[in-house]
Amino acid sequence: MNETLATPQRAAFDPYAPAPPTSAIRFLYRLNPLAKLAGPVPAIVLLVFVRDLVTPVAFVLLAWVLLLVGARLRPRAIALLLLGIPAAVAVLGVGFALWIDPSTMLGSDGARVDETVVAWRIGGWTMYGGALAIGLATALRLAAILALALVAGLTTTGPDLVRSFVQQLRLPYRIGYTAMAAFRFVPRFGHELDVIRSAHRVRGSHGGRGPFAAVARWTGYVVPLLAGAIRHAERVALAMDARAFGAHRDRTERYPVPFRARDVVFIALFWAASAAILWLCFPWRLD
Amino acid sequence: MTSVDPDASAAPAAPSAPLLRVRDVAITHEGADAATPRAVTFDVAPGEVVLVLGPSGSGKSTLALALNGLIPHALPARVDGDITIGGLAAAATSVAVLSTRVGMVFQDPDAQLVTGTLLDEVAFGPENLRVPAGEVVRRAEEALRRVGLWERRAENPDRLSGGGRQRLAIACALAMASPLLVLDEPTANLDPAGIEEVYAALADVVAAGDRAIVLVEHDLDAALGFVDRVVVLDGEGCLVLDGPAQTLLRERAEEIHALGVWLPVSTLAALRLRAAGYALDPLPLTPAELRAALQASATQPVAPSASLAATAPAQEPRAENRTIAPEPAASREKALPSVTSPVLGTGPVLGTGPVLGTAGEGDREAGLISVRDLTVRRGRQEVLHGVSLDVRRGEFLAVVGENGAGKTTLVQAIAGVVPPPRGRVAVDGIDPGRAAPRELARHVGFVFQNPEHQFVAHTVFDELAHGLRLRHAPAAEIRERVGDMLARFGLAGKAQTHPFLLSGGQKRRLSVGTALIAGAPVLVLDEPTFGQDRERADELLGILDDLHRDGTTVIVVTHDMQLVAEHATHTAVLSDGRVVAHGATTDVFADRALIESAGLRRPPLATALSGLPAHPELDGIVRLRDLPGGDA
Repeated sequence: MNETLATPQRAAFDPYAPAPPTSAIRFLYRLNPLAKLAGPVPAIVLLVFVRDLVTPVAFVLLAWVLLLVGARLRPRAIALLLLGIPAAVAVLGVGFALWIDPSTMLGSDGARVDETVVAWRIGGWTMYGGALAIGLATALRLAAILALALVAGLTTTGPDLVRSFVQQLRLPYRIGYTAMAAFRFVPRFGHELDVIRSAHRVRGSHGGRGPFAAVARWTGYVVPLLAGAIRHAERVALAMDARAFGAHRDRTERYPVPFRARDVVFIALFWAASAAILWLCFPWRLD
Repeated sequence: MTSVDPDASAAPAAPSAPLLRVRDVAITHEGADAATPRAVTFDVAPGEVVLVLGPSGSGKSTLALALNGLIPHALPARVDGDITIGGLAAAATSVAVLSTRVGMVFQDPDAQLVTGTLLDEVAFGPENLRVPAGEVVRRAEEALRRVGLWERRAENPDRLSGGGRQRLAIACALAMASPLLVLDEPTANLDPAGIEEVYAALADVVAAGDRAIVLVEHDLDAALGFVDRVVVLDGEGCLVLDGPAQTLLRERAEEIHALGVWLPVSTLAALRLRAAGYALDPLPLTPAELRAALQASATQPVAPSASLAATAPAQEPRAENRTIAPEPAASREKALPSVTSPVLGTGPVLGTGPVLGTAGEGDREAGLISVRDLTVRRGRQEVLHGVSLDVRRGEFLAVVGENGAGKTTLVQAIAGVVPPPRGRVAVDGIDPGRAAPRELARHVGFVFQNPEHQFVAHTVFDELAHGLRLRHAPAAEIRERVGDMLARFGLAGKAQTHPFLLSGGQKRRLSVGTALIAGAPVLVLDEPTFGQDRERADELLGILDDLHRDGTTVIVVTHDMQLVAEHATHTAVLSDGRVVAHGATTDVFADRALIESAGLRRPPLATALSGLPAHPELDGIVRLRDLPGGDA
């Protein structure tokens, strides 16, 4: 193999890597991926309609507890989770607050934003406490949704997700396993695109600066990239056919991904916890 | 029609029914006018190893795909005649069922991977067949052990070398438990170390004797060790010879060669030596056999050829080649005024070969390319460590080395594909680290491995005109130069064709044309023969030889040592990001220890001919054309 082709294959990220062996307390790895998706889904949907500060904070805390206990995270991941999320909330919150028009927006308590406390004033421009509250609430909602998605995202491998879709949701295995094979295409095409870009650059087909030149440039990459992609996909398809892919309606599954009582318990507990948080915080007003 | 050789009847008559029966097979691809292959009839007995030979375009690969039903079931084509495998008619049986009779290994190791670990990969086929899980693992273990990969079963296949991935593909085919394996050019995309790996694994499979093998391969040097029988197709796709491998190749070598089939280098050399009067009987097929045969025939040929004198003289002493003598700083900044007056033939012109003489001591031409203390990083890794290299005008330089030695990085820096740090590289008077692409194109052309990658226009004409238009050349000049280029590369009838619709060989020629049209005196090619069959590779090398003769300085990165020996005047050996040797090709290859320490193999002729006590006149010959015997 040519070295230029071989290098990107040794990328650090391996979408197929199995979950590391863990102790029993790391329970998230022992759950069916579908349970880890189904548990947080009602909370994620309801968070879209929440306007206060406390509810999303509660869900972020819930996700933190689940991940810190149930998943084995590297120190960097823990730092990102515990420090990165609050930092992102602060930056996004202030950012959203700047967008808010204080004369038309209503705060979560129903009062107009420009009637709330003044946080600070620069010349003729005023940042109201209400605007900050709305901005922070929006950022917190996003953070809570992200944190809940990470419960499944950080503890599930791609192949396991595909297997549970095939085994429990009866997704045809031809689709599931083809999708799995397609993971392999991503780094390959990324590398191919790099080569095409440097080839075009060497030909002097830069076409200048600016968005229009950039669009023209990228359309120039499409044809060779597609030609290569189609050829590669055809070859992979032939190789899969030659190994009897699609011969029967099902295939031997060496990795059963069972849906067990513990998965039901996890979903039930998660839903109960979500309900409890929403009950206690009750972020909506019934008028 | 079929002119099956009488040897066919001499093929080992299987006591049982043949495993594979191919009868009068003709395959016509959709949209093609003629059938290739056109008329093929042969049998394969259980456990037999059959090599299919034929010039490019004879339909060998098509035939291979028909043996397990991919043609016509997955790829539309008309198949006439009968193919029967283990009693199943290929035309009437699904690919899935046939996969239990025929295991396939394809050319591209990357295009055969589906899963995330070696074990899952091997298990993939049996799982599709609903083999019970316990049996799947048992089969996978057996298959992985046979190719020596069981210890690495938990790894991602991406982490294997090319040779390792192809061994994995063999294991996958073995795990299908089929009595026949079909391999379609399994080593065409591999470097020499990978080829050896794959053939060692295949030899083990053959030694066990439980599988029949049909092998389509052009690298005869590697395959000959364990092949029982050879089937030869002609250019039209008709089967012309079928017989025991050793006998057929030894006795009918000239005939097979005349068909356009590429014979082992040692055999070609032996044919030539025979013509020069050396007694070589039977005809040797491997370097070792050639060596042994020459040792046995201690008699000198009757009339020692005069062309022998061409091989040895006019080389720099080797010691000097090891270290690159520092060049005066002034010489590397000076651009040479004219690109059209190359300095060829200042040394004595030797035989028919190109310009070995330019390397002579008397020619202290200023370097056209100079690399000084070049260090290149890719990410956190340092790929080149302080490399210095000088290339003079008119050289044909081969850059060789193991995978990861930094060959591609070095030539990409020279050609400005990846701009090098400023002030480290000078090419034809400019610095690729600083030059704008349109300026760069006038001084150095780069040809990528896959010609499609560098096509930017919608017609062949625009493709060639692109570089000139960037320079705002007048329309009349563009027409004239593009016209010249089209004629020169045999593309005159294709001016309005989309580049992607050209044939593989035409695409390659067009990519060379686009690299040269701006008038670059230097042409750099990254593995130009990789993944190509012999004929197409030879066509390209012919073009490069012509360009070189006309004065273009050529730099190629390659793994093919015989290519280096035949075409390159100079060779640079890279190892771990350093130049460990650089000098005239013959001198570099004379140092066996150095070549091996860099992880390379010597070209077959060097192995066969160096240091033969009975034939001192052959010592040091690495090129076929330097052998006595003229055009054998």
